[in-house]
Amino acid sequence: MDSKSERSAVLAITDDTSYAVTALNAYWEFENENPKRFDPLIILQASSLARLPLESYNVDLVIYISRSVEFPFDELYAEVFRVLVPGGSLVVYGLQSGTKEADTAMSAIEHKLLLAGFLDGKRFHLKSVAHSFGVKAKKPSWKLGSSFAIKKKTKKNPLKIQMDDDSDLIDEDSLLTEDDLKKPQLPPVGDCEVGSTRKACKNCTCGRAEQEEKVQKLELTMDQINNPQSACGNCGLGDAFRCSTCPYKGLPPFKLGEKVTFLQPTFELETDGSFGQNFRFLDTSKQVRSAPCTHPRQEFSSLSLPCNPQD
Amino acid sequence: MEMKSKTLLILYATQTGNALDVAERIAREAERRACTVVIRSTDDYDANSLPAEDTVIFVVSTTGQGDTPDSMKVFWRFLLQRNLGSHWLEGIHYAVFGLGDSGYQKYNFVAKKLDKRLSDLGATAVVERGLGDDQHPSGYEAALDPWLSSLWSRLNEIKPHFFPKGPDFLVSNEELIGLPKFQVTYHNVDDIDSRLSTATDFKYLQMQIGRARSMSSGKVPHEKSKPDAFLKMVKNFPLTRASHEKDVRHFEFEFVSQVIKYEIGDVLEVLPSQSPAAVDSFIQRCNLDPESLITVHPREMENHHIDNNVNTLDVPIKLRTFVELTMDVTSASPRRYFFEVMSFFATAEHEKERLQYFASPEGRDDLYQYNQKERRTVLEVLEDFPSVQMPFEWFVQLAPPLKNRAFSISSSPLAHPTQVHLTVDVVSWTTPFKRKRQGLCSTWLASLDPEQSIYIPVWFHKGLLPPPPPSLPLIVIGPGTGCAPFRGFVEERAVQSQSSTIAPTLIFFGCRNENNDFLYRDFWLSHSENDGVLSEAKGGGFYAAFSRDQPQKVYVQHKMQEQSERIWNLLCEGAAIYVAGSSTKMPSDVMVAFEEIISKESGAPRESAVRWLRSLEKAGKYHVEAWS
Repeated sequence: MDSKSERSAVLAITDDTSYAVTALNAYWEFENENPKRFDPLIILQASSLARLPLESYNVDLVIYISRSVEFPFDELYAEVFRVLVPGGSLVVYGLQSGTKEADTAMSAIEHKLLLAGFLDGKRFHLKSVAHSFGVKAKKPSWKLGSSFAIKKKTKKNPLKIQMDDDSDLIDEDSLLTEDDLKKPQLPPVGDCEVGSTRKACKNCTCGRAEQEEKVQKLELTMDQINNPQSACGNCGLGDAFRCSTCPYKGLPPFKLGEKVTFLQPTFELETDGSFGQNFRFLDTSKQVRSAPCTHPRQEFSSLSLPCNPQD
Repeated sequence: MEMKSKTLLILYATQTGNALDVAERIAREAERRACTVVIRSTDDYDANSLPAEDTVIFVVSTTGQGDTPDSMKVFWRFLLQRNLGSHWLEGIHYAVFGLGDSGYQKYNFVAKKLDKRLSDLGATAVVERGLGDDQHPSGYEAALDPWLSSLWSRLNEIKPHFFPKGPDFLVSNEELIGLPKFQVTYHNVDDIDSRLSTATDFKYLQMQIGRARSMSSGKVPHEKSKPDAFLKMVKNFPLTRASHEKDVRHFEFEFVSQVIKYEIGDVLEVLPSQSPAAVDSFIQRCNLDPESLITVHPREMENHHIDNNVNTLDVPIKLRTFVELTMDVTSASPRRYFFEVMSFFATAEHEKERLQYFASPEGRDDLYQYNQKERRTVLEVLEDFPSVQMPFEWFVQLAPPLKNRAFSISSSPLAHPTQVHLTVDVVSWTTPFKRKRQGLCSTWLASLDPEQSIYIPVWFHKGLLPPPPPSLPLIVIGPGTGCAPFRGFVEERAVQSQSSTIAPTLIFFGCRNENNDFLYRDFWLSHSENDGVLSEAKGGGFYAAFSRDQPQKVYVQHKMQEQSERIWNLLCEGAAIYVAGSSTKMPSDVMVAFEEIISKESGAPRESAVRWLRSLEKAGKYHVEAWS
């Protein structure tokens, strides 16, 4: 626009047929420009246009003259960005019945301009045309991919633009009623005892969560590996049958009284005397924390994995 | 069309698998009533088709803070569209069952909202929504059992066409055990031998895979059963230091079949191989003959016809090959129904009892601890229940399907026209019972020796990261193996920069230690120098966060804050944002960092920054690919 060259390359695009020249002239008047300086290429009835028949970096100024609110399409912004020379401008210009509608339309346009990479979006109104509105923005003055020095920008803040992007989605919280916020009535059971199958509440205050944590794995002794015994009779059957404190938990099934062997590749004996799965032998001289399942049966009812659910 | 109206659709959205268990149970109960069903995950269903359905049963769980499961995000956003209007689902019947936990404030919010939304869109509820509560002493079953019986009786009243055998027809559970969904036919070896031995190369393997996988899914073979291509590994080296607790590998593959054109950001799916020894143990445990030739097809049901194309499935395959290619017996955990069916076949009383307990509402948590939490495999479960001898047909139906594993491609086809590269974390972990577990596919790939020339079956598809045009400035966040697709981006831009100008690229990478797991260190650094695509001279930058190299943790979002102004400037130039990596916390932390940066640099309130980012997302300029 402010180019010093004699003539600038101008492209005008409109979804309308007849209105273009009047609108263009009104715009030159507004910009205080001499129409003779321009030789605009005008594309009419462009409402379904998705590509522009022009090379990249070819045009100084593109003017959209829009009749319908939908026009121009998002793709067209990217196209205009492509054909404009660096520093070139895009003007989107249209008519709206009221100021509120015009505001909405301009917001949408500014938003799209921003997303397409345009800078310095400015709104304007043509005094000579009633109900008109427009937005003008510039393509950055560097070519895409060119190197540039980072400097503090003085341009208009794109966030000032009012956007209501989610307006096409309903507010999902509006789908809930008062009743939906209430908690369900649960049957009143003394359910804080560890051992019934329910687990601690996430925000447990009764101490159940702590107790459940205490149910932890015990370590095996060499003797328990070489001559496994089981008071409950379940230890050798495999994890599906073992209680939660069983020291054999994690091991494959074995026969009572016979050395536990590890057939699966995941249970290879490692050179440091531990099993690949982190089972450590305890020095038998040290205090053994627990022998397998010698505790009286009732105790199992207080464990989260009962020895026998029928108990 | 006419078929469609007779099919009951079950859509589920699951996070931990409970909703899938419920959906499968509803499907079984429907089939016992001779009602034809289709069961789909919400991410495997196009919401556009809803108005064409007759009746849809939804089973949805509510996660964390009242959110939908990941698999429901797209579907739910679709339903929330304002312009759908109040007649969109007119004439459609629906029912909703929710799984939630009243220990949480936002109890069953997803089911409640979905129910309201469906009715607002014009659909008619068959029965009132059911809400399963994990805090109930009997778990979600407490609500599910009565809900299901009223669902069937209401459906019988208003939709009798679903039940061609009448309202009272019901196959008992005992009868059902005699009716697995699949039929296995054994063939005489002599008839087939000549046909099997003709082809020997990867074409043959490709056919085998296609055949086995379409048989096991019970569907007509379609293109995707067959791999797109076969690759051969040419390089396998670690990207982490040997002593480091993580083992991340760089793999390079070459095409042995025809070269497939792919783009940066695409995803490669690999069909992993199971340990031959484990497959043999399974076959032995089940008393099967590995050499027998079989065909597998859906059992013919009286009330519906098998597709005409069933003949194309008729080329037999070795039983061992079928197991190897389609049934995951060595890594995935079986579902709950597997235990229920096993209980019918257990001959030892204590085993039967235990299996029945596992299948009961009371035993569900214990089963979860024993099975899912321990990543118990089918083979391991069978070892714990030695008295169970189950027909092979049931294994075909109930063994977890062997799934392809998806990886982000880390190479650019411009830079390596005949190759594909992957960046793979070789996964291993310890279960609560202190058992060592390993990822099936990554462990297998890491064990391959490029000298062996093993054919690796692969599929290519689009991921969530579209290839950016060279003119698009990029802000890229890829910590850990999340850097994989962006290695491809940088390779591509480096090639393109030789012939044209490239928009600036900012990359944020993160790992634990600079000296241990700084993946592709030399690659990034060399492109940051001498006018490389990441050099400052080109407006680019590479920033790495080493979380554990100092007392306080430093992550990618901290490095982003340091570059706040550069990020903001590039955003103003229309940059697109790409995020890849761990799905746990990173993507949301990064989003928050962007909000803070935008708000700080622009002086606008945080709320506007949030909206602005959302608009970037909608404009296709904010891409996230995350995995767990």
